[in-house]
Amino acid sequence: MRIRILAAVGLFVAAVAPVGAHHAFQAEFDETKPVMLSGKVVKMEWINPHSWIHIAVVGADGKETVWMVEGGSPNIMIRRGFSKDSLKEGTELTVQGYQAKSGSNRANGGAITFKDGRRLFVGGSNPDDPDKGKQ
Amino acid sequence: MRFTYLSAALMVPAMMFGQAKYTAPKTPWGDPDLQGLWPAAANIPMQRPANLADRSTLSKEEYDRQVTLARQREEADQQEFAPSAGGVTINPPGYWVERAKPHEQTSLVVDPPDGRVPPLTPSGRDVVKSLRGGLGPGQHFPDKVDSFEDFDFYSRCISRGLVSSMLPTLYNFGNHIVQGPGYVAIRNEMIHETRVIPVDGRPHAGKDIRTYMGDSRGHWEGDTLVVETTNLNDKTGTGSGYFSDAAKLTERFTRTGPKELSYDLTINDPKTWTKPWTIHYPYVMDTEYPVIEYACHEGNYMMSESLKGARLLEQQGKATKVDRGNAGGPAPGAQ
Repeated sequence: MRIRILAAVGLFVAAVAPVGAHHAFQAEFDETKPVMLSGKVVKMEWINPHSWIHIAVVGADGKETVWMVEGGSPNIMIRRGFSKDSLKEGTELTVQGYQAKSGSNRANGGAITFKDGRRLFVGGSNPDDPDKGKQ
Repeated sequence: MRFTYLSAALMVPAMMFGQAKYTAPKTPWGDPDLQGLWPAAANIPMQRPANLADRSTLSKEEYDRQVTLARQREEADQQEFAPSAGGVTINPPGYWVERAKPHEQTSLVVDPPDGRVPPLTPSGRDVVKSLRGGLGPGQHFPDKVDSFEDFDFYSRCISRGLVSSMLPTLYNFGNHIVQGPGYVAIRNEMIHETRVIPVDGRPHAGKDIRTYMGDSRGHWEGDTLVVETTNLNDKTGTGSGYFSDAAKLTERFTRTGPKELSYDLTINDPKTWTKPWTIHYPYVMDTEYPVIEYACHEGNYMMSESLKGARLLEQQGKATKVDRGNAGGPAPGAQ
């Protein structure tokens, strides 16, 4: 009985989850091109519909390439207590994501961490979150 | 937080079984006062999941399970270090979305009582099929990306259209109602809309004027704001159908408590659906959820990147078809 209830709830969750993010991810990024990028923040663009973090990545050949990493909507970040001053130029970040199908140096920010492994974005943006705005 | 969930759990049955009539405060000029911030923070699906059959609300066990899952998600969000290196996909990670509040309501559709959008009429089906030269409507997660028109108007940052504009989404779900003598205005954060609704008895715009958000006129029935919207263009719709020139949407806004706003929206378009249908949404005031500008088209690189990417694959002789199976589920409003 317990299993049956859990299964029912699972179905419900599956039905709830896809209510409209603003984006066609599968059209923009290439599932066959996972990337792991480490580099220093050049700038962060606070633009809609989604933010972009620019990082300078030094390749094996010693050549520096600037990658653009797509992040969440600026409004979400504001609600998490993240501000324009939160991410300083020169901060070292590691990004796991997938490259754009266009072949440009753009990737989605599937996971973004500092050098020591801490996550860049910590904390829920649930309006009930008691720690909202404390990041 | 525990207190908040407990409050929500106690509140829902009170709303379901009726409660002592609440009298809305009045504006200085004497209209019922609906003003405030009303985010659509409870993510209720448009249609009732098939497994829930005839139940309009979750059982206590199911609801409690939702509350537990929400708490677990919040705890995971608070982890300073990612729980594991795996789990990275091309879909939006957790930090992209705002966590929905659990709710007992099993579908936005409350009439028909089965919680499902009624079938389209034959002409309603023909309209959908005829779009894009017979390919059907543009998609939120398109199968192919030959043209910008393969994307729906939401992806294109044009509008969500009236119906969707009032419903939950994964983030930026703020709504703000403000009033002045003779007017009610509703601001929707997602895709940056403001609907200015005259409540002074003036007639609708001429029938040749048709827009994404339509032409809204309101009046008061006791403490309830009733808004009738017509003049919707044929590029927009909801629940898999597209509006015809006969579409009439009727919304009813009623304050049912100091922080509760009951919302019903009836979609009546006899050329498109076989019968009228009604959505219910329980807005809860949240004074800490302001509407922040979302100038969606500002940097919508997704469009150019997707089209460029598909052309590049084409040149390489590769398939450009997008695997919709992994594309994040059905389009908003179509699930």
